[in-house]
Amino acid sequence: MNARTLLLVARGTLAANGLRVALTLACIALGVALAGAVHTVHTSALAEVDRAAHALAGKADAEVRGPRNGFDDALFAAIARRPEVAVASPVIEVDAPLAGRDGALRIVGIDALRAVRLQPGFVLNSTATAAPQASSLVDADALWLTPRAAARLGAKAGDDIRVIAGTAALKLHVAGVLDALESAGDLGVMDIAAVQWRFFRVGSLTRIDLRLRPGVDLARFRAAVASLLPAGVTVSESASLSGRAAAVTRAYRVNLDALSLVALATGAFLVFSTLALQAARRRQEFALLRALGVTRRGLAALLVCEALALGVVGAAIGTALGLAGSRELLARIGTDLGAGFFGSSSAVFAPDPLALAAIAALGIGMSLAGALWVWRSVARIEVAEALRDRSLDLPLSTRAAAWTTVALAAAGVPLLFAPPVAGLPLGGYGAIALWFAASATCVAPLCRAVLGRIAPRDAPIAALALAQVRHLPGHLAASVAGIVVSASLCAAMAILVFSFRVSVEAWLDGVVRADLYVQPAAPGSDAFFSIEEQRRIAALAEVAKLEALRFDRIPLEGVAAPLTLVARPIDAGVLAGFQAEPRAMPERGAEIAVWMSEAARDLHGWRVGQRVEIPIAGKTEALRVAGVVRDFARTWGALLIPVDDYRRLTGDTRANNLAVFVAPGSDVTHAQAAIRRALPQAAALEFEDAAKLRHDSLDIFDRTFAVTYALEAIAVLIGLAGITSSFAALAWSRRREFGVLRFLGLTRGEVLRLLAMEGVATGTLGAAIGLASGALVSVVLVEVVNRQSFHWSLDVHWPVGSLATLAAAIVVACSAGARLSGAFAVRDEAVLAVKDDA
Amino acid sequence: MLEVRGLAKAFAGGPPLLDGLDLEVRRGEWVAIAGESGSGKSTLLNIVAGLDRPDRGEVRLDGRALDYSDDDALALWRRRHAGFVFQAFHLLPYLSVRDNVALPLALLGVSARERAARAGEALAGVGLGGFEGRRPASLSGGEMQRAAIARALVHKPALVLADEPTGNLDEANAAAVLDCLREAVKGAGAAALMVTHSRIAACAADRVLRLASGRLVAQAP
Repeated sequence: MNARTLLLVARGTLAANGLRVALTLACIALGVALAGAVHTVHTSALAEVDRAAHALAGKADAEVRGPRNGFDDALFAAIARRPEVAVASPVIEVDAPLAGRDGALRIVGIDALRAVRLQPGFVLNSTATAAPQASSLVDADALWLTPRAAARLGAKAGDDIRVIAGTAALKLHVAGVLDALESAGDLGVMDIAAVQWRFFRVGSLTRIDLRLRPGVDLARFRAAVASLLPAGVTVSESASLSGRAAAVTRAYRVNLDALSLVALATGAFLVFSTLALQAARRRQEFALLRALGVTRRGLAALLVCEALALGVVGAAIGTALGLAGSRELLARIGTDLGAGFFGSSSAVFAPDPLALAAIAALGIGMSLAGALWVWRSVARIEVAEALRDRSLDLPLSTRAAAWTTVALAAAGVPLLFAPPVAGLPLGGYGAIALWFAASATCVAPLCRAVLGRIAPRDAPIAALALAQVRHLPGHLAASVAGIVVSASLCAAMAILVFSFRVSVEAWLDGVVRADLYVQPAAPGSDAFFSIEEQRRIAALAEVAKLEALRFDRIPLEGVAAPLTLVARPIDAGVLAGFQAEPRAMPERGAEIAVWMSEAARDLHGWRVGQRVEIPIAGKTEALRVAGVVRDFARTWGALLIPVDDYRRLTGDTRANNLAVFVAPGSDVTHAQAAIRRALPQAAALEFEDAAKLRHDSLDIFDRTFAVTYALEAIAVLIGLAGITSSFAALAWSRRREFGVLRFLGLTRGEVLRLLAMEGVATGTLGAAIGLASGALVSVVLVEVVNRQSFHWSLDVHWPVGSLATLAAAIVVACSAGARLSGAFAVRDEAVLAVKDDA
Repeated sequence: MLEVRGLAKAFAGGPPLLDGLDLEVRRGEWVAIAGESGSGKSTLLNIVAGLDRPDRGEVRLDGRALDYSDDDALALWRRRHAGFVFQAFHLLPYLSVRDNVALPLALLGVSARERAARAGEALAGVGLGGFEGRRPASLSGGEMQRAAIARALVHKPALVLADEPTGNLDEANAAAVLDCLREAVKGAGAAALMVTHSRIAACAADRVLRLASGRLVAQAP
């Protein structure tokens, strides 16, 4: 067949099935759009972080960075004096909660005269930093805002802004807006000494931005200054925050990408289904073409041509929709899709052309794969037989399909044991993809094996429905594949999320032991309670016991994400709450005992009993890992250390959180009031009782998974659209049969009931296979994908109610879809169908 | 007995296809309706089957008039009282030959055991004993039509309607099928109405009527 004839036939075929082709295109487009939009939102988020980091770094080409709680600012002089350094600019960053309103403001303290040599934007275009107001450069109350921060806070030069320092409110004067820092994100800038003084960080820095002299190699410089650096302080390329953000969010982003790609795969099954059903209806056409001399390869080219047209057009529409959708998402909800990894606002729209092209290519590739799968059946058509019969199905070897199922399922097993690649569970993804494919290919053989044993003898309509479903295994496989895959995905995700939620609930029950938790301000900020404030609270009659919690984030060599150090009282009860292994408190030894989270164990390769060296407060401390704990609060590794040991090592007696055990006879309300009275200067105390803390934690959990629910729902909708369109196509092909049944005395209602029963049989089969496959896939998600991506161990729990609802919804939707599509087919008088006797 | 009185039918914008048509077919009688394409033969058959509505006139079977206002009642009437033979056989490909033949019995709620027995008898009656477990696709055209006749008569209907039953068959098979149909109709004592183009088929009937200008006129066999 030459190209012209090929296009002519393909065009005719596609044009003759307009509605179904439109639906198929819509499903491919939706799959590509989803994957494209999710990916673009994340690339935009990273671009935003990158842009902000580089805007702040300016001309710096290296940075010295330490723990979140900072390092000794004496290091600055030593670094600045180095001959390799052209410019050194000390920086301290604090996240200051806003007083009297929600949220926090990130404040960057700089030495303006030094920082301006790296980033002129710190003074450029600012009227406030011009000569007449030059004194404000070192004014301890002066705050400059970036345009983004000014817009968010609704502040302008001359306004006052109240933030929390320690526990007390601090009034800052907005000296101006730094127009040149438009791209630096949402932050405020102050004089470094003012920040150190006002925020109780005297003598501390969090970063030193460096411009090295021309010709100085970063690696050599790093080696040269290594001996000067306190433990936990590192030298890296400037704006390293950008790369770290990409690294630490990679697993989350890739998992969400993978989830959105399942919707695309479901759409691809619809392409397969469309082509397969059209091929079934065109058996005689294919046989005729073969009789006229078209080779099997020519038929393959025809199918590929049609699939290519569907794939390319669908992918093009999907890419455009994905770009438009992601732009809209960024404008409306920002870059945070629920997990809270990225800030919620962004002005950057940064699509990744290569990734979008890859997603589009995947859509096209899946369409082509579907076409080639259909071609395998088309190539088996017996020409002479097909020319004279009116079968509606394609030849399908159920034996071959059964072996294919076994082969696909078996091929997935070794992948389960593959180690992660760059922190990504590629083996797990591969196994899931193979098992999804296996669940689709097992439809036909299972249909034969299961439905063949069911024979309702005294229910003629049901018997007819079952006979029809049994009779068309090819059609069944094509139409049910999409629903099997989407049901499998949904079931797997439901089991994962439920297991996760139950595990988190159990963990919360264990770790939330106090009656009341107090924070100096909104969570995640640098506000703190001084030791004096802690003593005042502990002395209250309403307080039986007070536990202080202190956090620090420590960068470690070779791992992108910093280790969180959690200093807190630790006893057997705490260990039980954290589900520690082993549970028992160790004997007090020479070395300080610490407990690592599962993530810390996986990321750093530590073992229980091992001696680890951790940089704490500028010194390397040898600690003994006494056990491993579950920690669902932190993704990238945490180390629990007894707070008394931490204070002895660091001299840092501050607390970020306080856990209050209310005295007998008192209650939470009275304790709150007493604490407020004890800290009259505290302007933004945040109280959470145990129930609220649990509730809020689970609320965050649900928000994190909200986007996954949306993606699953879309995958199921695509699957249902596929099965409905399959039923519609088949019902149309069977008008003659319906006419015969009407002649034989079936009422229209009975014909529709017949179709509904076929839908029930199909939906039940699809749901059953989907749930079974989903259960297997959920184990991979829990034990492989989750463990390798996020390092949390979960106990598998079965959401029986949700799974039953899902199965029922699929069966009902399939039944309704079949009946609805049949209504159109039996709308015409039966006689017209029977008259079609050619 | 089938009685048709004053039947009239016209499709929108066209001349009347049936124009005050009268017809009587007695039990055990086989009447053939001949006529040119488009003369209204199939329309008459569809109206008699309750699948199309007349503009005027009535159809009675054994004295009871068909109620064209109730579609479901018409379906139940066909189920109990009518059997059909089509030009293209229309056996359901996903059922065995036995199940195809037994389908009208199944719809009437006859037990599985009795269905099997009566379908076997009907198949034996049309010379297809031993074909019970076969699929329609494995039968020849003549065999399929004989199976269709067995299906049309298995529930002992009062009325058998046949639309070009030999249209897709060669002469030898056509003759065999007509013999089979005659024997079955006579044996069952049904009133049989057949529309056909075929002179040979028409000759097999007891009486031949020609449909022209919307009315039936007698035609010599």
